[in-house]
Amino acid sequence: MTAAARPVAEAVAAGTLPGRVWFYSNYHCNIQCTYCLTESGPKVSRRELAREQLVETAREARELGFTDLGVTGGETFLQPWLPEALTEMAASLPVVVLTNGTLFGRRLLARVEPLAELPVALQISLDRPDPDANDEMRAPDNFRKVVTAIPELVRRGIRVRIATTVESMADAELDRLCALHRELGVPDDDHIIRPIIKRGRAADHGLGVLATQPDLPAELTVTADGAFWSPFGPTVRAGVLDTDLLITRTTRPLSVPAEALLRLVEGRPPGEDSTLNIR
Amino acid sequence: MSTVQLIEADQAPLLARAYYADGDPGPIVGALAQVPELLTVALPFIGTALGPSAIGWRTKEIVIVRTSALQQCRFCVQTHTVVALDAGLDRDQVAALRDGRPLDGEGFADPAERALLRWIDTVALGPGPVDEQARDAMRQHWADYEIVELTAVVAVTLMLNRFATALELPTGTDTLARLAAEGLL
Repeated sequence: MTAAARPVAEAVAAGTLPGRVWFYSNYHCNIQCTYCLTESGPKVSRRELAREQLVETAREARELGFTDLGVTGGETFLQPWLPEALTEMAASLPVVVLTNGTLFGRRLLARVEPLAELPVALQISLDRPDPDANDEMRAPDNFRKVVTAIPELVRRGIRVRIATTVESMADAELDRLCALHRELGVPDDDHIIRPIIKRGRAADHGLGVLATQPDLPAELTVTADGAFWSPFGPTVRAGVLDTDLLITRTTRPLSVPAEALLRLVEGRPPGEDSTLNIR
Repeated sequence: MSTVQLIEADQAPLLARAYYADGDPGPIVGALAQVPELLTVALPFIGTALGPSAIGWRTKEIVIVRTSALQQCRFCVQTHTVVALDAGLDRDQVAALRDGRPLDGEGFADPAERALLRWIDTVALGPGPVDEQARDAMRQHWADYEIVELTAVVAVTLMLNRFATALELPTGTDTLARLAAEGLL
């Protein structure tokens, strides 16, 4: 480990800095959820990261002392090279990859099968135990595709997590959702319930809770547009990228945004001690 | 309308927020905030070069206004015309600096300032080495450390001239009102 890497590694080990580095592999998606933070859909700007950047930055993340990786989007599996990239990334650190779970036909299932032997988990969105309520927020036929894909993945030995993103849910409905995920082969520990964050399309629909910088864990997030404070940072509204949680435009070497993030976490942003009169 | 989106306070990136703490930081910060890691390095440098130092305020404004006029930087000339007036230059002196034609020292009685004006014109207009007479005149009136700093002020101003001109940074409304009142718009 280099001397420059040590402070980041120490901060991760001490719990000062979260251990996961996130990547936005792309912003486009085959569906358009009503609460999507990034306004993702079939026709949006793709804002893609190259496969090589994902793999090489994963290696850098390990060298810096980070402990985990996350890949999100957009629909991540629209990147045709993703299964192989995940295999390469998992050689560096464990990976969780977020997906809407709608693309797992026979061919893709065969390509992700090798991930069963690796520290890779697929996190699939499933918001409601009933098709109509689920699909209303996500897309037509979404429920059916997801409940078909999950057992196929589990049967192949791939670890599946389920993420439920909701404003609120009655106990009885939650009980039915939990019964469903157990039936699909996903244990309680791998079921995550999280609130809708009021950014992106969710804000347009008046959905979700406001979340500001202190509310969000400082999880370094790499995108085609720069590095952000959190995966909830690089959101899009009216087609324009939000920059309020931007850290640096530089993403390589990863030490540049990682060290800037650490300075922010430690409460000493550079420049705060300079007095300027330039207009 | 500037060439790029100028970042406003509600979209200020984390590393840039300190520069917005006292209100609108102006278009140079608004543009540089697009690249926060550049902003946090550039602004302290620019602030040190152009801000208060061992070189007097009036002298620095002579350098900035004249350099900006030679480079035809509308934003910098307008913005620093107001600052130059506040720094003690009279209206005729500012008008002479803003006129891109060569200055023979008219309106500037101090021989050190006349030597400086020749230096600015030679350095700012380039290219190639500065002429010997301009160098000798500077050495006669200014110490080495002053020549270094004054030359740095020319260089930083040149950088800002091209930056502000290329990005078409808008002049502030308060500045435009003051220039109109002074008959210098």
